[in-house]
Amino acid sequence: MTYSLNEIEALSKRAARGSGLAWGLAEEAAKGTRWLSAFGFQGTDLLADLLEMNDRIPAIDVSPVSLRAAVWHAPARRMSPLIAGASLSDCAVRLMERGSITMENVCVPLLAVPFMGGAALRLGHPVAVEWDGVRVATDGRHLCLHGETDILYTRMTTEMVFSTPAKMTGTKEPVMRASVSPQSWDRLAVFAHRTFAPATDESRLKGAGAGLNDND
Amino acid sequence: MTEVPNRDPELVMRLARLGSFHQSRLSFKRVLTRRMAAESWRFDCTAFEIDGNGEGHAVYTAQTPERTYSLIAFAHDLPAEKRSDRVIAEAWDATFTLFDGVPEDADIQRLAQNIPLQEAGRVTGRELSVSRANRSVRLWEHVVASLAAGDQPETAQIEAVGYLMRTTAVYGSGKLGAADREMIADRPEFRVPFQVEMLSVYLTRWFVTDLVQHMACCRAQKNGMTAAKLAPQIARTLGIGNSTGLGMAPFLLNHPVLFNNWIAAREAALSRVRGIDIAKGADIALFHELFERSTLLFAAWQSEHPLQREKLAALQADVVALRLCLQTIDLSAPHPWDRLYQWAEQNLSLEGQEWVVSLLLEPYGALVDDLAETMAADNTATFRIAGSMTIADMRALLERVYHWAIETDWSLPANRARAWYVSEEKLEPRLGERFEEPVEEYEQPLAPGRDAAALHRALSHWPDDAQVAEFILRHPEHRHALRRAQIVGRAPYAEIRDNTISERVMPIDMLRCKLAFFGATKFDPRSDRWLRICMYGNAPLPQELTSDTAEYWPYPDLPKGDA
Repeated sequence: MTYSLNEIEALSKRAARGSGLAWGLAEEAAKGTRWLSAFGFQGTDLLADLLEMNDRIPAIDVSPVSLRAAVWHAPARRMSPLIAGASLSDCAVRLMERGSITMENVCVPLLAVPFMGGAALRLGHPVAVEWDGVRVATDGRHLCLHGETDILYTRMTTEMVFSTPAKMTGTKEPVMRASVSPQSWDRLAVFAHRTFAPATDESRLKGAGAGLNDND
Repeated sequence: MTEVPNRDPELVMRLARLGSFHQSRLSFKRVLTRRMAAESWRFDCTAFEIDGNGEGHAVYTAQTPERTYSLIAFAHDLPAEKRSDRVIAEAWDATFTLFDGVPEDADIQRLAQNIPLQEAGRVTGRELSVSRANRSVRLWEHVVASLAAGDQPETAQIEAVGYLMRTTAVYGSGKLGAADREMIADRPEFRVPFQVEMLSVYLTRWFVTDLVQHMACCRAQKNGMTAAKLAPQIARTLGIGNSTGLGMAPFLLNHPVLFNNWIAAREAALSRVRGIDIAKGADIALFHELFERSTLLFAAWQSEHPLQREKLAALQADVVALRLCLQTIDLSAPHPWDRLYQWAEQNLSLEGQEWVVSLLLEPYGALVDDLAETMAADNTATFRIAGSMTIADMRALLERVYHWAIETDWSLPANRARAWYVSEEKLEPRLGERFEEPVEEYEQPLAPGRDAAALHRALSHWPDDAQVAEFILRHPEHRHALRRAQIVGRAPYAEIRDNTISERVMPIDMLRCKLAFFGATKFDPRSDRWLRICMYGNAPLPQELTSDTAEYWPYPDLPKGDA
């Protein structure tokens, strides 16, 4: 079934929040999943993988210890691509100054790629990343991709190297609809459900201010 | 022209004022009728297959110079006990979709399986909106019975309600699988926000008029009679009602850049008009005329809600005061509109002040209508956090925008009495009592003031020259508020500068503000958290739409002899 990108973004945000991420990071997860879906990747499967892996663990354990370190690494020795990716986007200027940023032991590395898009738009230069022989580059609006699919979808890589300015070769345009596997939708829905308050008679009556007759 | 600065966000972005906004020529339905007339859109009913019980479907098309859009309406025979305006309803008197193009039979069949189910159905990228409506039982029956008996309905009854059906949700932009706004936002007719929804409601109004006539004809036939044809002058006064609840309030908070662009456009329009050095006689005359015509609109504006009654009483006093003022003020002297605006700010209630703002724009389409094109938003750039901003700059920004929140005592229960949450029942947004109900753990980030104050506190021991990227890495719980502060730093009208979780918060203020931008009139709060309004009341019917009728229709005509 095809879904609208807004639906994907809305469910991803709720699911990420339901997994325990702060709202600001849930927003990043949602934009990132939407971005990947728009380029034809299985964004919702990747997000479901990550949320199941990191369900309700403290964010700090899977965050970079320091943004100034030569190599970014997380205390738990597996880094969240959402948190590291969001930091990469926040540090776009630093990435430009340094030329490259290396991250160690990143989970679901493809989920970090959308943040390169944000950085590229800010810098006005394409940003590239390489891991295990895969290379992805983006200027924020287009994408180019070299490497094998199973590596692209790997659940863990020992090293990701982000660099800018990068060259764009053989670009891919975003699409406006995304096909989503029902399994991934259901997996995300389980997390999203945690953000909904159970309905009670009281909330049904008072919470939306109803109670008047609509047969008038 | 004299340069007049835009009004200060500190003045504009208060809930009480936003909750007093009126429709204006920048309202989305007026932008649409203006365009439809200017481009001579063609309207046709291409199918009307509805039986004597009022069940079946109909198709109404709007042809622009480049494209065709079709409203597909499904009519249902709904038992009274199922009629509810709430999001949690599961059946309606009529359901609709706006289709991109002309539907084939297969499309109709597919949509007949889905549109009547609303949230429980699925649509595709060919569908631009999904909506539903319920009858006003009183007025519907009166109109059907009158016409079936060969009579016209009574004007007093029509005026008391104003519409035959009210929509209870109009979903666009990707909801339920429909086309994302991004798919159509580059079409000129949809560049301005909510044009899909406004077109859908305009065509819905036409369908409802045909349906009531059809039902009257069926009843008359049963009784061996011939029904009267609803007089066009009565049909024209009928709008489409809308019943709107809390879902709209989070929208303004969740789309800060878009909201900024709406307000900024209206404020820029006001500044331009206030900057006029000398007003032409014809413009002054038009202002006087529309002043009188808007008083007719207010006379027909009824509400049983005590707060709105109080506001309406103040507005009636404002009408008297403004009429006196207009008798004495010299509008042919320099800077007439700036002087009039300043007088209004000093002498009228908030309802009256914002009414004057809307009125001031009316004679000056050539000066302000282009601003409608600035009201859409692309959030891509503003979503990214500028991580290299220093803590000192962030602190200063917070103190500038959120000083009211930083000064608020958030330890007082009254200041955080409420919590916004989403119910698992059809994902209905609700407002709960933080200290009385178990809702806090489900709270949505819809209290920007409290969150900004918490961010400000959390920054207090950080060095001035550190970067915000370092801070939010340690404190992801502040990432949302920090992003928001950076957005407001660039978009001054993006933030409501009031406490949205106070025990005194009136969510209807947010609803009214949004609905005024849609172009709604006759705001009728039914509680502090939902209200009814009217759309397209008095608007020209599709066959009557010309550049002469497309502009000032929200204002009723003066009785003959007074004009």
